[in-house]
Amino acid sequence: MTRALGLVPAMAVATALFGGAAAAQTIKIGVNEPLTGAFAASGTYVVNGAKIAADEINAKGGILGKKIELVIEDNKSNPTEAAAVAEKLITSDKVPVLMGAWGSSLTLAVMPKLMEYETAMVVETSSSGKITTTGNPFIFRISPPSAVEAAAFKGIVDKLALKKVDFLVINNDWGRGTAEDFSKMMKDKGIGIGLVETMDQGAQDMSAQLSKIKSSDSETVIVTTAVDQLTLIFKQAAALGLKKRIITTGGSQNPDQIIAQAGAAANGTMHLTTFLPWFPDKTPNPEATNYFISEWKKRGFEFAGCTESFRGYDGIRTAAAAIEKAGKAEPAAIKAAFWDIDVKGLNGDIVFRKSGPEGKESGQSQPNVYLIEINDGKVAMKAL
Amino acid sequence: MNEFLQHLVNMLVLGGTYALLGIGLTLIFGIMNVVNFTHGVLYTFGAYVMFIVVQQLGLNFFLALPVAVLAGWLLGAAIELTLLRPLRGSDIDTTMLVMIGAWIAMQSGTLWIWGGVAKSVAAPFPEAPLVLGPVSVSWLRLFVLAAAALLILVTYLLINRTSLGRAMRATFQDQDTASLMGVNVDLIYTSTFAIGSSLAAAAGALLGPVYVIFPQMGDLAAVKAFAIVILGGLGNITGAVVGGFILALAEELGAGYVSSGYRDAMGFLIIIAVLIFRPTGLFARAERVG
Amino acid sequence: MKAAITVLAVAALATVPLWLRDPYLLNALITTGIFIIGAMSLNLLLGFTGQLSLGHIAFFGIGAYVSALTSLGFDIGLPGGARLVHEPWPPIVGLALAILVAGLCGYFVGLLSFRVRGAYFVIVTISFAEVVRLVALNWVELTQGPLALTNIPSIALPLAGFGELTLRTKLQNYYLVLVVGLVAYLLIARLVHSHFGRAMRGLMENETLAVSVGIDVTKTLTLAAVISAAIAGAAGSLYAHYIRIIDPEVFAFINTVTMVIMVISGGKGSLSGPGVGGLIFGLLPVALRPIMAPEAQWIAYGGVLMAILFVLPRGIVPSLAQRLVRRRSGAAALAPVALAETGVKKGA
Repeated sequence: MTRALGLVPAMAVATALFGGAAAAQTIKIGVNEPLTGAFAASGTYVVNGAKIAADEINAKGGILGKKIELVIEDNKSNPTEAAAVAEKLITSDKVPVLMGAWGSSLTLAVMPKLMEYETAMVVETSSSGKITTTGNPFIFRISPPSAVEAAAFKGIVDKLALKKVDFLVINNDWGRGTAEDFSKMMKDKGIGIGLVETMDQGAQDMSAQLSKIKSSDSETVIVTTAVDQLTLIFKQAAALGLKKRIITTGGSQNPDQIIAQAGAAANGTMHLTTFLPWFPDKTPNPEATNYFISEWKKRGFEFAGCTESFRGYDGIRTAAAAIEKAGKAEPAAIKAAFWDIDVKGLNGDIVFRKSGPEGKESGQSQPNVYLIEINDGKVAMKAL
Repeated sequence: MNEFLQHLVNMLVLGGTYALLGIGLTLIFGIMNVVNFTHGVLYTFGAYVMFIVVQQLGLNFFLALPVAVLAGWLLGAAIELTLLRPLRGSDIDTTMLVMIGAWIAMQSGTLWIWGGVAKSVAAPFPEAPLVLGPVSVSWLRLFVLAAAALLILVTYLLINRTSLGRAMRATFQDQDTASLMGVNVDLIYTSTFAIGSSLAAAAGALLGPVYVIFPQMGDLAAVKAFAIVILGGLGNITGAVVGGFILALAEELGAGYVSSGYRDAMGFLIIIAVLIFRPTGLFARAERVG
Repeated sequence: MKAAITVLAVAALATVPLWLRDPYLLNALITTGIFIIGAMSLNLLLGFTGQLSLGHIAFFGIGAYVSALTSLGFDIGLPGGARLVHEPWPPIVGLALAILVAGLCGYFVGLLSFRVRGAYFVIVTISFAEVVRLVALNWVELTQGPLALTNIPSIALPLAGFGELTLRTKLQNYYLVLVVGLVAYLLIARLVHSHFGRAMRGLMENETLAVSVGIDVTKTLTLAAVISAAIAGAAGSLYAHYIRIIDPEVFAFINTVTMVIMVISGGKGSLSGPGVGGLIFGLLPVALRPIMAPEAQWIAYGGVLMAILFVLPRGIVPSLAQRLVRRRSGAAALAPVALAETGVKKGA
């Protein structure tokens, strides 16, 4: 017992030595992402995108005459760790602003810490509606919650002549939220809603759900999940002879990875996405898109990762813009400045609108949403 | 009706893979009394060997399978020699925790080496499925089912028809007596762990191309393998096979007719129910392996 | 001697916030402390009755959900169209209910544990935890499923005549966890030294003998399971009100594994084992974080775990105690260390 107790101060000293020594010559931005655990692949992509943004900004001389420095911490895909990491970044590293935390449960766990330390965070990926509706004025989200995505899809729905749709969604806030918001929107449009099937996050075999969908009377299936499960679903749907039209949502589909891994099974599938790395000229900011993609390739990353990593890139640029606008690297000033920025993001203008209870609104930007189709193993804009 | 038939076919295909996962673990658990948390890692390892041999070295798919089995055998033997043998005679919880440590370290090692992005392996089978009336099934899954059946048969014969198998069964029944009768218990333990591990690697090598390959893929597989082993009774190969099919049936019907959200709950509810009524598994023959 | 070390250790822990000002480290100590309470409850089952529960997080999670829902309120439909509406109650009531409901669940699992032993009990508990997780995930109306319960209030202590004290700061929460941990420790210590404790040990060491001298096996195991689950429920409640958001991830298997690591590395069947193992493995990630890559941190974590067990296979506290005894008496200590440490005679 006594021996173990001796370790505690030793660790505290070690942490102070390794963690505390940092020059005030830079402006820090905290990055709270999953680098190990279930979401390691996605979190790593986002961090790589963030590094490109930081290097680009620093190459142009930094902001307010100082270089920016990303303090990147792994939240281990674990909500408890995500909260602890936020605490570390804010109190030990003294970052005036954060970006994070990929998954919704991770972001939700960080949110009380933002209130406690009155520090703002750019939310780059999480889609849960709750993040911007529960009255946390330190949240500035650049990814679309499913309601925003559903609203954007509304204009496309008529042209696809949908009659009745089934849903197959991942059983988390993202999938559930999508099923709910898209159903609501489609019901208003007079489209029938059939089955709503879910799959567990780590599930590898969706044959049972797909067999059920195969026997239903819908002609279209809306699928919401991450790229790995999408790949499996396309393969398994093909094996079951499921001939329905498949539309995926969520914007992290990585069509290139799907094409590479699902092969012909991916042909004819449609994807609702927020970023078009295949057609830089059609993006809202072609110059930035081209720069980002060339830099991404130059660093030897898989092209498929672009659709995930661009959010890290945009997130850091958003935070940097707010610091610049604030004129100083202080949390309160940066938080206030978020409301006044207008960043030309890779998927639309990042301008924050108020969302949530009055007096303590969170910020939410409205990214563009596009529909693409995979034909003969190639990504194409869906002609509408 | 058509949907039901499709669910039955899915059950067969899925059950075969579950059975394969179960038999390797039931040998280790039954004979060595080790709660083997590295089983899932071996499964993942087999899948990555497949990825390396087929995708990175560009060698033949069918050649890669025995390579994965052999690699699993070697890794299993190495784990037994370095981690388990020095702790022989320790408490079951202590060896379990060492296995947990090995699981955490090896899984993180996989993530470090290959990253978290899922890999896939191309299999030399037609993409169009085999369609039989209202049901359809992919050729790859049929191959996996056949290969699994073959591996299960080979294991069964190994345990029941060879002198190694006889020694393994003797060790399972009574280690001390077996030792007195001239059985080299150390060798039996290493062999058992290596065989069980190679079966896990084989399962991963077969299923990697069916699914996608990523560092945590073994976790879910390991939990299901544990469930199957307990369902069938410790050390009981036939029990593990039957348990695998029961679990698959419960999941298929649960997802098809109850609620897909409770798909995985079905298997666990069955386990709880079975153990309430038959506390040592469906096919409790605690005195025998085979 | 033993008591003196315990008192010193508690006193030392009580002074930590006086010299440790870093909120990040305090936060790490608080969450570690919460998991240590969970580990202590697991130790009651594993260390003193020999039944390994790999689903212990179920009781922790149930406690977290009960406490959160009590203090947040809910509105669910019942069969037949009626609705059950619950208005928010103070979190401290939630803590009490968490203990109660988790204890009740422990009762049912405890009944099972009489029938199902060893590896089979392990799987029953894993299955139980998975089923509970899936209910939390899919019963969206009650638990909000994956949408998570957010804005969970902090625990408030009612002060007679002076309103109440809401525990918002780290300092307050640190002492709350310390006090709950101490209460759990004393409760377990008392149990272990009682007649009931002797019954548990007797049962673990030789069931036939235990039964023949009149130990009621079912009652003993069930009671141990109830108390163990109740303590885990209390830890879960502390977790919910401290982290202030919970979702079905709280039932993740890795959380059970964390508790198992704390118990076995520290020394199962030793009262202070979970505390020692818990501090090491709770704070190890904190120490590793600044010095190596994220994946390497996990590899090192697994490596340290294996190394400890190779050097001290019975766990830190029992193995060190054994060495100490051996050195002092100059002879090999034959008595099981867990017994030597707690001073309980073998058998009933």
